[in-house]
Amino acid sequence: MIRSFRDMDRLASEKGPKRLVVLAPEDEEFMMAVKKSAEEGYTQPILIGDREKMERLADQVQYDISKTEKIYEKSRQAIADLGISMLFSGEVDIAGKGQIPTAFIYRAIIREESKVGKGKVVSVISMWDIEGLDHLTCFTDTGVNIAPDYRAKAEILRNAVFLFHLLGYPRPKICVLSGKREINGDIPSYQDYLELKKAAAAGDLDSCEVMGVTSFLDIFCPGGKAFRLGDIDIGKADFPHIMLVPNLATGNILVKLDFALKNVRRRSLVMSSRGPVIIPSRSDFQDSILGEIAAGVTVAEQIKGGTAS
Amino acid sequence: MMTSFDQIRKEAKAKGKKRAVVAPVPAAMDFAALSAALAEGLVSPIVIGSSDALSSWVKGLGKKASEIEIIEEPDAMRALALAIDMLKKGEADILMRGSLDPNRFLQAVLDKEKGLLKERVASLVSVFDPPGVERVTMTTDTYINSFPSIVEKVTITENVIRLARMLGFDSPKIAALSAIEQVNPAIPSTLDAAILSKMAERGQFGDVTLEGPLDIDCAVSRRAATRKGVHSSVTGQGDIYLVPNVEAGLLMAELSVFIGKTPMACALMGVSHPVVLNLPFVPAENRVTEIDLAVLLCGRF
Repeated sequence: MIRSFRDMDRLASEKGPKRLVVLAPEDEEFMMAVKKSAEEGYTQPILIGDREKMERLADQVQYDISKTEKIYEKSRQAIADLGISMLFSGEVDIAGKGQIPTAFIYRAIIREESKVGKGKVVSVISMWDIEGLDHLTCFTDTGVNIAPDYRAKAEILRNAVFLFHLLGYPRPKICVLSGKREINGDIPSYQDYLELKKAAAAGDLDSCEVMGVTSFLDIFCPGGKAFRLGDIDIGKADFPHIMLVPNLATGNILVKLDFALKNVRRRSLVMSSRGPVIIPSRSDFQDSILGEIAAGVTVAEQIKGGTAS
Repeated sequence: MMTSFDQIRKEAKAKGKKRAVVAPVPAAMDFAALSAALAEGLVSPIVIGSSDALSSWVKGLGKKASEIEIIEEPDAMRALALAIDMLKKGEADILMRGSLDPNRFLQAVLDKEKGLLKERVASLVSVFDPPGVERVTMTTDTYINSFPSIVEKVTITENVIRLARMLGFDSPKIAALSAIEQVNPAIPSTLDAAILSKMAERGQFGDVTLEGPLDIDCAVSRRAATRKGVHSSVTGQGDIYLVPNVEAGLLMAELSVFIGKTPMACALMGVSHPVVLNLPFVPAENRVTEIDLAVLLCGRF
């Protein structure tokens, strides 16, 4: 079982290098992360992007790309399409987003998914490694679906359950988050929770458990008892592996609170049916991008070799 | 501006004792915060309800028990109506929720005719005392309005600005949050944030700087914002965070409390008198801070 980002980093250096196609590494932080991932033995990169920009940036970060495979292309959509098609054809193990609008990548993934007949809902899974918690957790969907309905949420959950199975969690626990509270009755996300709980119990969401909680208050204070800040112990809480967010705005706000909280780190990816696509935020810095690459390498390895034990 | 909950406590104590009416108390409730406020000399309590429910608490107070006025009214809704009436007549300064559930309590308190609602909508502001930050910060609406319209968001913004000014923020910096920092018609909360931002630019909220839409990374980190090409005095320096809906607001507040272990107290705004809601997601340590905030708000709505 992969319990932490440290486990991922270790596995990435042990099992690497994997073939990573990098879509438009046209920013210094990103180019530096790609360089480090090659140095650490995580990846064997293939760079697609604007020739002049890539060469200038590689030079700036002292990365010798003379022997690295490069494909020169300026059109953002063409870069996305080519890189994602390489992932789906098996030429590479991982695709990684650089300086390219995320929507272009999602569009390319959706197109390839429909070609292989999966028609999968594309969703972003943002993992969190929280200090004091002995397992990984994640928020989803934090990037694609603006206001998913019940059917989309079920698909979003299947994607995350698949990822957690790969990471060695045979029956991940799910918290369907909702803004339901004591006032204003049930809101749609709570109705979705009730339906998803039934679906999970019937085995419709693969092997997982939908917990009987919909908020952090529920998770930490079952029964609604008063609590003291000083007594909160995340290691003792029955903390979920997967947190399904009610909508995109909520997901994005929650998951990027790592910028404010000191005890949390984040790594995001899309699980396509042919492998991981890592999706660093445009505001991420080289260390977190390198971490995301390690996550991609780990997942690619697990796909090849089955689940982590 | 208030730098911490400690400073809020000091300022509240300097205000002198306020009359806090607690209603209704039909059953046993947790009096810890009220006891602490009584011990600090912040309030003199008037409790409306069943004296049976109060007896063990009153006994435990010793000499302080004489400072409590008890009005016998075993019917919860009548007790609450009486409390609201006392506030309106100036016989009490602060209303505190007793053991009635928040839903029925708020229905009565926010009743347009018989309650205390003063603005178009009431809204809850979660006030945080983040470690390492030299001032308190505010997030709203974290409880009352589920999916506010732009009209309601305007009032929610006015409500929190009123609180910020009372807490000494003369020119608050406000981040209107959404999923992304660009205006995207497919994501309605980006449009709302852009409207609020334009209204602020035209001076419609007075002396404030309001930037939106901002995603949370741009809002809390100047470095992240710069990397995304967002340049504003609000990035990394926000005093107030406006959330797009209650799911984001409530869950963000809870996440900050439970994972970030950030002290938090709440204030109800948009009403004519301070109301302490005693909501379950407020840490026990910070419940007296809610009374401090209410004391500071007395006579200033």
